[in-house]
Amino acid sequence: MNEHLNILDFILLREANVRYVVLGTMLLSVASSVIGCFALLRKRALVVDSISHSVLPGICLGFILSGTKDPLFLIVGAVITGWLSVYFIDIITRYSKIKADTAIGLNLSLFFAIGVLLLTVIQNSGNPNQAGLSDYLFGKAAAIVLSDLYVFGSLAVIIILAVVVFFKQFTLVSFDLHFAKTIGLPIKFYEFLLSILTVIAVAIGIQTVGVVLMAAMLITPAATAKYWTNDLRKMVVIAAVIGALSGVVGVFISYLFANMPTGPWIVLIFSMVAVFSIVFAPEKGIFAKYFRQKKNKKKMLEDNILKAFYKLGEHDGDFFKKRSAEELIMARKFKRSLLLKGLRSLRKLNLLTKVNDSFVLSRDGMAAGARITKIHRLWEIYLTKYLRVADDHVHDDAETIEHIITPDLEKRLEDLLQYPQEDPHNKQIPY
Amino acid sequence: MIIHVENPIVEVHDLTVSYNSKPVLWNVDFTLPVGQMIGIIGPNGAGKSTLLKSLMDLVPTSSGFIKLFNDDLDKVRHKISYVPQRESVDWDFPASVMDVALMGRYKPKNIFGRFTKEDKEIAADCLKRVNMLDYANRQISQLSGGQQQRAFLARALAQQADLYLMDEPFAGVDAATEKSIVDLFLSMKKEGKTILVVHHDLQSAIDYFNWVLLINTRLVASGPVKEVFTTELLQETYGGQLTLLSKIGDLIKEKQFPMREQ
Repeated sequence: MNEHLNILDFILLREANVRYVVLGTMLLSVASSVIGCFALLRKRALVVDSISHSVLPGICLGFILSGTKDPLFLIVGAVITGWLSVYFIDIITRYSKIKADTAIGLNLSLFFAIGVLLLTVIQNSGNPNQAGLSDYLFGKAAAIVLSDLYVFGSLAVIIILAVVVFFKQFTLVSFDLHFAKTIGLPIKFYEFLLSILTVIAVAIGIQTVGVVLMAAMLITPAATAKYWTNDLRKMVVIAAVIGALSGVVGVFISYLFANMPTGPWIVLIFSMVAVFSIVFAPEKGIFAKYFRQKKNKKKMLEDNILKAFYKLGEHDGDFFKKRSAEELIMARKFKRSLLLKGLRSLRKLNLLTKVNDSFVLSRDGMAAGARITKIHRLWEIYLTKYLRVADDHVHDDAETIEHIITPDLEKRLEDLLQYPQEDPHNKQIPY
Repeated sequence: MIIHVENPIVEVHDLTVSYNSKPVLWNVDFTLPVGQMIGIIGPNGAGKSTLLKSLMDLVPTSSGFIKLFNDDLDKVRHKISYVPQRESVDWDFPASVMDVALMGRYKPKNIFGRFTKEDKEIAADCLKRVNMLDYANRQISQLSGGQQQRAFLARALAQQADLYLMDEPFAGVDAATEKSIVDLFLSMKKEGKTILVVHHDLQSAIDYFNWVLLINTRLVASGPVKEVFTTELLQETYGGQLTLLSKIGDLIKEKQFPMREQ
């Protein structure tokens, strides 16, 4: 009973507190997903991870120096140490022999170690205000109150606005830094802007998601969105939508169960969306790839059956004679189950009909068989004539190419070879 | 043999450039004429790309100065177009061919400006000139090497510059594309543009360029192709006569010496 009330409270945003939490999470998720797109495209995903671990000591210092959990102090601290880690990575890679990935690894663990040490010191200090500070590790969205919302929310809005305003510049800097510099764009400024916005996005996520998992908020929606589009504008919008929805669902789940940290839930939901996209996204997804391959296989099978019919017809001088499955297997080594499957789909295309247990080509089926045979033989001529391949080596290649050649290429092949009568094996070429 | 010209479009004085304190260009000094097709020729690692980059202030120089259009780079940027090596960007970027061409219309001063109808028309015209208009909406990751190069050239054309700096535009493109790019360069030259091309194929260089810079860390020769392409100078560029220079270069790197006393 109590739980149902909770669900309704949440969905209807009945309590002011729930409204703050939902609004705060949405703003934060949109901001981090949007700026994350550029971090991803600039190949800075690992730097983001380093930043997210490096804000912890900043939060602790902010607390120690101010003595309160005022979000403003904590964020200022977080931005300073987050920015320091970006700066250190830059300095280390520029002035030492250490490579970027190593520098990131060094930074990440160092800053996080200091953060955990400071956190322990605070927890042992007996300061009554420190309760809940450890929630910043994994996030507790339910703890967002109005004053937090003002600070986090306005920073999130600033990030989103900056991306909208400087979209062209950010795109140019992310795609081709050298070109951007040659046309006189102040690239140092825009690189700095992108970095500082990224650090701020990480810092404002500390209360909701926690420092440890904040990198996922920037990178996962961006990586997922890239599966659905080839247009950066759309990618940013899709990432924002994925971010906002997953964020709210994550908050909802952690709201339902007491003492559930928010960060892991949001990351879990992000990851589920990501896996779904990797598998099912049109064009780029695994499923789409599998489907394309399956379609190719089907076409190859159909082509081969039609060609077998044509070959038998050529032999008997009768293209419309009834053929049994056995006869076709004799003409070409089909696997029986595959052959029957191919015959079924050819019947659906009206390229052949079934008479008792035998099959007869239709007019269209005969034309299709002739076309495949023609392309096969033309390609053999092309290989022997233009690529000087020996004529006993051309058959296997033609077996593949015959399925790929489009009507446009077919025409060009005919024009180039000027409609020859016979292939290299002295077989007639049907036109 | 270094032939200097009056009213040069590019003037380089005593240029020295080092990477990780190893000098890759050493005391390079030349002037280039307007309206020519100019080749930068030399073996791998000779500093050809570095020379182009230093003209655009993309690499820090150890010494020397550069004048373009007899002026500082910052004052004449709008008259220069730089085409980086094709491999220097990630082509898996979510952008269409048209997006890339439009980048050539970008004006840094106009921070909030959107692309105008005119910008889009110019970009489309430039795509047409490189035979890529049919691919305008195609995602750039789906392009072949030659098509990627032509997308870059469309972006450069859209800049409507007077001086074009091209870093290896023929690298990894098929013969037909190479031919079409050369034709494009020739028509640009007819319009009075100056084209500076990094190239490493000696054979075709004779046909393509009418002015040539031969470099191998130092400048071996600069002049009209017929005068520069002598056996002696080519041997000097490609042969192993620079062992002393490269030894000293290695030593400078080893001892971490500065190129110039501060």
